[in-house]
Amino acid sequence: MPTTEPRTDHAEAESTGTSTDRPHSIDVEGLALTYSDGTQAVEDVTLSVPAGEFFGFLGPNGAGKTTTIKVFATLLEPTGGRVEVNGHHVTEARTAVRASIGYMAQETSIDEELTARENLAFACDAYGVGRANRTQRIDELLDLVDLADVADTPAGNFSGGMKKRLDAATALVHDPDLVFLDEPTTGLDPKARNRLWDYFRRINEQGTTVFLTTQYLEEADQLCDRLAVIRNGRIVEDGSPDELKRRVGGEVLELELDGSGARADSQGATGESAAAVLRDAAALDDCGSVEATEGTVRVTAPDAGERGPDLLLALRDAGISVTGFDVAEPTLDDVFLAIADESVDPLAAADGQPGTEDDDTSQPQQAVDV
Amino acid sequence: MSRKRLGTAATETADTGNTFLGDVRVNVERWTRKSVHNPTAFFLEIVVATFSLVLFTAVFGDVGALALERAGFADVNYITYLLPAVLMQATMGSAFSSGMGLVRDLESGMFEKTVVTPMSWTAVLVGKSLAELARIVVQLLAVVGLAVAMGATIETGVVGVVGILGVCLLVGLLFMSVSNVVGLLARDEEVINAATMLFMFPLLFLSPAFIPMSADVETIATVNPITYGVDAVRALVLGEDVMTVLSVTYYDGIANTVVPAVAVLVALNVVVGAIAVRLLARASSANAD
Repeated sequence: MPTTEPRTDHAEAESTGTSTDRPHSIDVEGLALTYSDGTQAVEDVTLSVPAGEFFGFLGPNGAGKTTTIKVFATLLEPTGGRVEVNGHHVTEARTAVRASIGYMAQETSIDEELTARENLAFACDAYGVGRANRTQRIDELLDLVDLADVADTPAGNFSGGMKKRLDAATALVHDPDLVFLDEPTTGLDPKARNRLWDYFRRINEQGTTVFLTTQYLEEADQLCDRLAVIRNGRIVEDGSPDELKRRVGGEVLELELDGSGARADSQGATGESAAAVLRDAAALDDCGSVEATEGTVRVTAPDAGERGPDLLLALRDAGISVTGFDVAEPTLDDVFLAIADESVDPLAAADGQPGTEDDDTSQPQQAVDV
Repeated sequence: MSRKRLGTAATETADTGNTFLGDVRVNVERWTRKSVHNPTAFFLEIVVATFSLVLFTAVFGDVGALALERAGFADVNYITYLLPAVLMQATMGSAFSSGMGLVRDLESGMFEKTVVTPMSWTAVLVGKSLAELARIVVQLLAVVGLAVAMGATIETGVVGVVGILGVCLLVGLLFMSVSNVVGLLARDEEVINAATMLFMFPLLFLSPAFIPMSADVETIATVNPITYGVDAVRALVLGEDVMTVLSVTYYDGIANTVVPAVAVLVALNVVVGAIAVRLLARASSANAD
């Protein structure tokens, strides 16, 4: 077991111990934020993030993710509830909070007229990093984000990924206990995204608590120890990615339908009628769902696989032929669709392309042929 | 989970190593570096002032000489009379870049990034303003140097130049506040560009900047801050009382112009500066509005 340096509020203790000695990085009870125009961005958020955790905060657009993160970063004052970050009250001890956190905003925030090194130097000065260690600290960070060879190039000449990495590095100059990353990889190509992921993993392994918001469920799945899902300003689920998948997603049975049958005037119609048959046959409980998309029907339930044969029979009795099926373990996307995005109407999705693909062989589905 | 420090600096930052003067210096450094890296605007503003000196002398030179003679400045050459106008023009042009910097910071997220640091917000503002005032001083010295090379004379010598810079900085500070207010309200660089022109030319022409004023212009010029800037600088250039819109005889000579003009400029700075600081404080506050 490598030695650990527990972080306390005053960082004076250099004792050895485990990371559980550290206080909670974030402790929130009943956070509410209502804008002056009456918009309730956050209604009731209660959560705590233990020190050292890689925590993911998911939710659809407008759910209140960025508002919440801005409250934690002292950029917005909550209108209700108690919020403590690194043991400091966000409104009463604002400067202490600011000194103890790193914040990477959704939009890349760097000074494009300054070089990478100058951006980091400014951040060091802004966070009161001692002059004596500054040069060494800047070199370490430039290495960490792979910008050492372009250290003296103006940041305006960087690619999107390089700018993001520089932005992330400037949020870490003071070696904060906790870093907020608000959708840090939005708009990046997969390669740049993977590099940033490696980097975030590294800083978390070094003991920094990470609070990440993201729209990319794969990102949350890859990086996070624990997730919370926010919808309409309230937390609706939390747990580890695997827990969430088990709890909410269940298994997914995907059925590929033969759209050329007599009953079908379009793929969507086949899907709809199949979905109706399945809903009747399966008598799904709360966490199950049936979704119709073009030429396929997805049944999500904890025991979707077991029910497969019954459902196939029900479809055959209804005169709908099934050309393929697949049972899949749930992904976070399924979790997300099931709990965070109720507004998505699967029928509307099917209507989006009316009758464009009448020949279902032209649109192969990932399914096993029967 | 193990924690390995990336550096030893971290231990010093829990109570933040920030001091007010340190925070000011950091921001002076940032804005000065930005001007040094991108000196185009800095030099263009000097070039524009040079053009003005050359063009206005060429175009208005003869007319100016007649007007000057009629207004009692028979022994003053036109470029000397013109110098205060060009200094005002350069000051205003440069001052408006303050609002541009603010809008760019708002757009790039650097504004928010600065707010979220433990730096004193006042220090951030003071630092940025000091860097911008220093930039104006360097530009004005270049313009004064060019004008003297072209035949202008400053009767009050080096002390006068210091006074001229002081008056120009008051005008500069005033229009820095104006451009910050415009920037915060519009949040658009284009609008600030347009506002620069909107303020600069009417205010310069509705003052005794280029030629002595007619009676009609004088009425409007009374409420034009540039009038006071031009008169004060001109008094220092010519070494005599040249106040056009107020008649003060309490002091001797130059002071009859400079003291009331500076008083007016200081008062305007207090009012407009308060509005700018208030808006900036609101933009950086954590209130949910």
